Amino acid sequence: MRLGACGREKEVAEMLTRGHWPEAASSELRAHVNGCRGCRDLVLVKEAFRAERTAAANAARLEPPGVLWWRAQLRRRNAALARIGKPILGAQILSVAVTLAAAIFYLAWQAKRGYAWPAWLQQFPRALHLEALLPDALTKYPGETWLVFFGLGMLAAMSGVIVYMASEKH
Amino acid sequence: MSWESAIPNVLAGETPALASASSDLPGMNSEEFAAFYERSARPLWAYLARVSGDAALADDLVQESFLRFLGADHPNDGEVSARRYLFRIATNLLRDHWRRPRAASIEDIPEEVFQAGDHADACDSRMILGPALRFMRPRDRQLLWLAYAEGYSHREIAGITGLASASIRLLLFRARRKIARLLRENAPDDGRVR
Repeated sequence: MRLGACGREKEVAEMLTRGHWPEAASSELRAHVNGCRGCRDLVLVKEAFRAERTAAANAARLEPPGVLWWRAQLRRRNAALARIGKPILGAQILSVAVTLAAAIFYLAWQAKRGYAWPAWLQQFPRALHLEALLPDALTKYPGETWLVFFGLGMLAAMSGVIVYMASEKH
Repeated sequence: MSWESAIPNVLAGETPALASASSDLPGMNSEEFAAFYERSARPLWAYLARVSGDAALADDLVQESFLRFLGADHPNDGEVSARRYLFRIATNLLRDHWRRPRAASIEDIPEEVFQAGDHADACDSRMILGPALRFMRPRDRQLLWLAYAEGYSHREIAGITGLASASIRLLLFRARRKIARLLRENAPDDGRVR
């Protein structure tokens, strides 16, 4: 395949770009184009594409520039907010980690001292007479009563966390 | 930035970062952008619509291209380079669109796709180059449009498409030869140079 462009292709391309073809072209150049396959292809393709560009540009359905400007500002603002939110999220993760570490440390410390508090905790619902709120079947076993209240407490705490996370996301 | 200065301002919506986000975007103010948009949006839409063959996709990609253009720190050395940068963004978006995996089953395809297809057909029928362009590969359509509709040089096309500058010449030569043949086959005899 011969890739060497015709020496007059540039001249023809320039005339096409300026809209001077074929009116301003010399008869000699027009004769050359008729005889040169490369230049003929160039004229055919360039004229077709430029006509297509004009037709397509007129068919474009565009948003007003003000809408795009506003949306771009909104996007930048959201990106800036996300950048600022990153350290806050880091602080939240850190605080949860510190709380967990403190709880583990406390449990380990209590374990060393012989777990005096589980017995006290088991008696706690009885001290507040909370078993009155439960069905009779459950009140026969004090250990299980404590478990029910622990479960309800966990449920309440988790609900709070879920509501908080959902509102954060929103 | 200290917490004392950041947190109250965040609540008031006046953090330095937010303040800069709500003022003029990099490189342009709103009036300059409106003028730039008026001059460059239609050629960009024409490029995307004819290369992709989908007018609805062109609508979406034009908007996304301008949004990314406004959000980026683009080279601020005149409208020619800004427009080139815009075409580069659009070209990358188009490439991302083609690379995206297609829906696996017909149930996964949203209804709008079928509506867009109908519109694209109507759009195609009005095209002068339509039948010939359909036989070209997407990359060839891109190269031909950038070279012959937009008038970009090989070096500029390389910058927009990310292809090597040296290979543009060969690819364009082949693509031009092919589309010229297709145009001759499909063209009515109107007495012009063919």
